[in-house]
Amino acid sequence: MVRRSKLSRVLPAALAAAMLVSACSANTENKETTAGTGDNTQTTADSNNPGGETKSGDDKPEPVVPEGHYTYYDRVVTLSSNWNPHTYKTVDEAYPQDYTRSALYKMVFNDASHPIAGREDYSAYVIIPEMATGEPVDVTAQVKKDHPEYNIPESAESGYAWEVTLRDDLCFDNGHKITPDTYIESLKRLLDPKLLNYRASDAYDGTYAIANAKEYALAGVANFKSFDDAGTDYEAYIADGHTDDEVFVDLDGFWGVSAANGKKYAAITDDTMVRDPAVKEGDPEAYVSAKYLWDNYLAPGQVYEAYASTYTGIESVDYEAGYDFANVGLFKSGDNKLTYVFRNSLDGFYLKIYAMDSFWLIDPEEYDKYLKEMKTASGSVWSSTYDTNAATAVSYGPYKVSDYQLDKSMHFVRNDSWFGYKDGNHTYVDPVDGETYNMFMTDEIDTQVITETATAKNMFLSGQLMTYGLQSEDFSEYKNSEFLKTAPGQTVFFFIFNGYKSVIEEREAAADFDKKTTDLESMTLTSFRKAVAVTFDKQLMCDTLFPSNVPGYGLLGTTNIYDPETCAYYRDTDVAKLALCDFYSVDVSKFASLDDAVDSITGYDPEAAKKFFNDAFKEALEAGFITDENGDGVSDQTVTITYSVSSETDRTNKLVEYLNEKFNDVTKGTGFEGKVKIVKSAPLGNDWSDKFREGTVDFAFAGWNGSAMDPFGTTDVYVNPDMAYDGNWFDATKVPMTLTLNGEEITMSLYQWSDCLNGKTVSVDGKEYNFGYGVADAETRLQILAGFEKAILATYDYIPMLTDGEMFLLSQKAFYVVDEYNPVMSFGGIDYLKYNYSDEEWDAYVKEQGGTLKY
Amino acid sequence: MPSGALRCFFGGIRHMWKYAAKRIVYMFVVFFIIVLMCFVLIRMLPLPTLPPSDPHTAVVMMRREAMGLNKPMMVQFGIFLKNVITKFDWGLSENLYFGQECWSIFRQKLPATIIVNLYSIILSIPIGILLGIFAALKKNTWIDYSLSTLTMVVISVPSFVYAFVIQYILCYKLQWFPFVMKSGNDWFSLAMFKSMIPAVLALSFGVIAGFTRTTRAELVEVLGSEFMLLARTKGLTKAQATMRHALRNCFVVIVPSIIGEFIGIIGGSLIIERIFSIPGIGALTLNSINGLDYNIFMLSTCFYTIIGLAANLVVDISYGFIDPRIRMGAKK
Repeated sequence: MVRRSKLSRVLPAALAAAMLVSACSANTENKETTAGTGDNTQTTADSNNPGGETKSGDDKPEPVVPEGHYTYYDRVVTLSSNWNPHTYKTVDEAYPQDYTRSALYKMVFNDASHPIAGREDYSAYVIIPEMATGEPVDVTAQVKKDHPEYNIPESAESGYAWEVTLRDDLCFDNGHKITPDTYIESLKRLLDPKLLNYRASDAYDGTYAIANAKEYALAGVANFKSFDDAGTDYEAYIADGHTDDEVFVDLDGFWGVSAANGKKYAAITDDTMVRDPAVKEGDPEAYVSAKYLWDNYLAPGQVYEAYASTYTGIESVDYEAGYDFANVGLFKSGDNKLTYVFRNSLDGFYLKIYAMDSFWLIDPEEYDKYLKEMKTASGSVWSSTYDTNAATAVSYGPYKVSDYQLDKSMHFVRNDSWFGYKDGNHTYVDPVDGETYNMFMTDEIDTQVITETATAKNMFLSGQLMTYGLQSEDFSEYKNSEFLKTAPGQTVFFFIFNGYKSVIEEREAAADFDKKTTDLESMTLTSFRKAVAVTFDKQLMCDTLFPSNVPGYGLLGTTNIYDPETCAYYRDTDVAKLALCDFYSVDVSKFASLDDAVDSITGYDPEAAKKFFNDAFKEALEAGFITDENGDGVSDQTVTITYSVSSETDRTNKLVEYLNEKFNDVTKGTGFEGKVKIVKSAPLGNDWSDKFREGTVDFAFAGWNGSAMDPFGTTDVYVNPDMAYDGNWFDATKVPMTLTLNGEEITMSLYQWSDCLNGKTVSVDGKEYNFGYGVADAETRLQILAGFEKAILATYDYIPMLTDGEMFLLSQKAFYVVDEYNPVMSFGGIDYLKYNYSDEEWDAYVKEQGGTLKY
Repeated sequence: MPSGALRCFFGGIRHMWKYAAKRIVYMFVVFFIIVLMCFVLIRMLPLPTLPPSDPHTAVVMMRREAMGLNKPMMVQFGIFLKNVITKFDWGLSENLYFGQECWSIFRQKLPATIIVNLYSIILSIPIGILLGIFAALKKNTWIDYSLSTLTMVVISVPSFVYAFVIQYILCYKLQWFPFVMKSGNDWFSLAMFKSMIPAVLALSFGVIAGFTRTTRAELVEVLGSEFMLLARTKGLTKAQATMRHALRNCFVVIVPSIIGEFIGIIGGSLIIERIFSIPGIGALTLNSINGLDYNIFMLSTCFYTIIGLAANLVVDISYGFIDPRIRMGAKK
């Protein structure tokens, strides 16, 4: 990439002269500060002594300060209309939060100023304190002793309670200071039972739940309790003198609907019909009632009577009304100190980045101003306009909202009150020139709603947008552009073939099935699938059909991190590389290095494919799947594979055409010459995966989108019959895998390996194993994952073909400090964006180019 | 002016006012009936299904309760009217802009739609009428044929096609205008006007063609009338006869279509709004239907209804000015 650095170098002395006054007080008087003066980027602080006291002249090199004004022009299709951290719902709505909030801890690239031993700069990340002044301190033992109300387990000595010290220069853009009390008041409002905030459950449920938060948020709220949980059953409950009006059906759990009053349950006598969105209007059971479900499914003698105690029960109040917020696990524990108490034991990456994220921080004073009450017969319901427009927006991040027009545009300018501009921590060392720069070179961000892609493209080419996401029709034109950025995805797409033999036999036995010309059974042969696995040149397939994708070779792609503490990529490890080499029969000893061996894998070998097709032909002939009556060595039947398609698209048609063309090429000279054919199913909509699992269609081109930092969790989708594509013909409980871990040889089923990898304790031969996160070390877990991957690949139920990804063009106006995509840090975002041209220079440059830029 | 004529004139004015007052009363009655019908029909629709596990479900249910949705229909209508009349409260958005006031959203989006369409009307009607007159006067010449053919072509092509073509040529290639409408509320600034021009042009082409065709057809018919011959034989020039007699007759047909176009444009510029990023009520109305946001839809419906009724009233009253033979409200 051409990197025309136009940043001027300014002497440190000049920086010292430019140091600014305390942000909070200054900004109170000057709310309409124009962004981009650059002044607020010119102070530094001792990162080892953060806390608001700014000084210069420490050991850190002074950042280079750019001249000029830099505006980032962004485009969205849907503009946020509510970014209130307590009520926002979607990712689109959260868009402004990327710019307007900070966290206690922040991830930055490892570089010369944030080095990681043994890691190349910008290949990983480092977690640094942002709003906190240092690392969290584990105070579990003390809190357990002093605060029994948090119910920290008696045996626990660490991980439940953590104390952080806040910087003393934190404030909102309106000048209001951020103190431990602000955090506490924010959480109180988030969890306030009367406000019913959408995001409350993020703080009270799940792994990162704050102690007693649920008790406060759901205080006095009646809920469904199954007979199982209540320790009784229907008959006993009625015998106790209760009536049917006091027995409830779990509508949500049992049928996936809510009652007419919005609750998840209703009395078994309630005959109010509610719509089941999963059923087409007009079809049977498009509307159901609690009474109907009880009478027809759960009542004694009905088909699901066995589940009655799970899905019927009583109404109970789990948490008494008036629960005191003082018992919730967040309290002020000293001067500028805040203690978090969690329901679970947490540590490291997950503690700092997720559990202590404190997404719920708001300015209580402003927040209360924008609350509006609406009276109902039974009480009140509240709404809020906090963070819904420029007037009600509050920021504590690097930028603040300066203008907002509903469904049209949003404009951000620098938040001069933000501590990060002068704390000395928000800097990086450029890997090219070795100079230190402040993060956030961008002065303003202008976001427009541009719905039409054609408009966006023309605007980008005219220099009016910073990025343009490539469409399939653009690839041929821009695939070699030096401004093209590739962001690989996490989904590996597989070819998956029908292996549901009993259903296939049934289909072949149908009266309208012509067994003389058509065969379905051969596709169940492993040799047939082995042939398919090496039939397609994956790179060519990507180039031809899916230009933004890259070939996929394993169950997991290149972006999965197995140890978030060290940003270690699964695919980079030796065990993962060996797993691939083993599967693709690569003799590692023939290569200079393991990397060379892995690089040699293409997954394309037409000669081997021919051999496998011939093997499959012989096996199919012997098994009676096909015939060769004229003895020409070619099957009389065509293996007709029905592709499960959700909708008829141009891409699907091209894929089918491509597959058939390649099958015809590779099968030449084999027993299946011209006898393998892919045909499309009727468009199946969302049923495509169910139909495939049922075995009524034969081929799926699908994958799983796993968590970038939890590849271990994805093992479940290959062994859990409720999720696995091959759940009806692959029983993971019967497939053993033996691994030697820490000198001990352990054999258990794939199902068990997956379970214990994900934190469940599995008992084998009287011995218990648990290899969950925090229980087993990362290397052991890695070894299991690699073994698991190899075992699943060896079934040939999942033939990896490609990994998804996206490509976009980045404007010539700017560049990212890093060229390589990082699944956690991406390209560094606005933090690491540097500019080749200031706004003024850019306008002149675009004009000079005739108004249309070449990419 | 002779006293008889004066009496007649003032009598006409008095009749006109009486007629207008009566029509305004009728208009509100009709408005009330339409609103009632819409309200009942909308409330008869099944309410959007609320996902059981969504934390907003409880909030939505309580808001529905506050709006009286669990009460009889007429009570609900009473609550609706009371809220609208006493507090101008149209309720809260349920899906699209969760918990925000419908009127506040609508109010933010109204100016863009009104102004863009107003510019379009101002541009297209005079041009359309002038072209129509020109074509009629040049009847059966190559000019007439060319204009008629062009008119048919333009009418046949949907406005979003012009929108893309205009955007590509004027904004991208020639760089005369911004790609999308300018942000901000400075509706009458020069920069805003400039940014609206591509959208205005895209909206105007079809309207110009429509008026050209209507005007030409009407004028051709009137120009061939016997009274036009009489006018010419009395010594009027062709221009005088056309302006004084032919055009006035034509306008009885043209004026109502002006109003019709205005309403049509306001309601139907959704695609143009998308392409030129105009934050208008066209998209809002359609989104409220797709998003089952009934409160916003109700407000939009009321808006279109009142605009339609008011426009009809204006048209009816305008007849009296355009054609003196039409006496509004007169007994004979």
